[in-house]
Amino acid sequence: MKKCIACGMPMEDISDFAANDPGKDYCVHCSRPDGEMQSFEEKKENLTRFIVRTQGFDENAARKIAEDMMRKLPAWKEYFD
Amino acid sequence: MKISSRQIQKQNTRKKIIDTAYRVFSEKGFSVPSSVIAAEAGVSHGSIFAHFPTMNDLLNSLLSDFGDKIGTSLHVLAKKCDSVENLLKEHLKVLEEYEAFYSRFISERDRLPDEAKNAFAMIQSTAAFHFSSVIEHEIEKGTVKKLPTHILFNTWLGLVHYYLMNKDFFSDSNVSVIKRYGPELISAYLKLIKNESEVY
Repeated sequence: MKKCIACGMPMEDISDFAANDPGKDYCVHCSRPDGEMQSFEEKKENLTRFIVRTQGFDENAARKIAEDMMRKLPAWKEYFD
Repeated sequence: MKISSRQIQKQNTRKKIIDTAYRVFSEKGFSVPSSVIAAEAGVSHGSIFAHFPTMNDLLNSLLSDFGDKIGTSLHVLAKKCDSVENLLKEHLKVLEEYEAFYSRFISERDRLPDEAKNAFAMIQSTAAFHFSSVIEHEIEKGTVKKLPTHILFNTWLGLVHYYLMNKDFFSDSNVSVIKRYGPELISAYLKLIKNESEVY
């Protein structure tokens, strides 16, 4: 099963892919309204806000977790080298 | 590219070490020395260090595999859920599959290295992702009380984790706590969070 290069989410249904395009390597949650992939900073902030909202973590702890998640993903490799 | 038999053997040994560590950590906790894992896996002590220079490397590889497996299971099962009740059932089904290791992991998490602690947060983030999309939909419909998503999620997790972390009080050693108490936990939690007219 293909996984999103920007967040790691498995993508199986067409609606999981950005712009409903199975040729894309990133998911609907990692794309902007125009279908382009979010930038590193956008993704980091979105992930941080998501962790705070759904798990209630302190913002700094959430940001660190967001960075650690992104560190393992192919889309953001160059930002951690 | 053709893989040589030496490379295949190397991959098999690595897998054997990870699988054995998973079982030994589940049974005895994360402070087990590498010599015990080597003996249980039937490999030399040096072989472990050839694959994993430190115990942290072994632990991080194992947790990365575990996080991928549990994350994919959660994703596949939770995606089809249209109600919070079904989602909780699927969540428990996944936890039951990995119960022994997961219980050790949550019990010893604060004594593990940072990368291992973060693996825990990543697993919970996958669960929280599915939980939030289902529960926020139910809040919108008025079937679940209007409480912050993180309070609803942490209350559920806190309840389940309490039973897992105190398994010796709740269940005989061979009986799954999730199997035994899961239906009661789901029913009680739903009664707590559902708007009264929706409780059944």
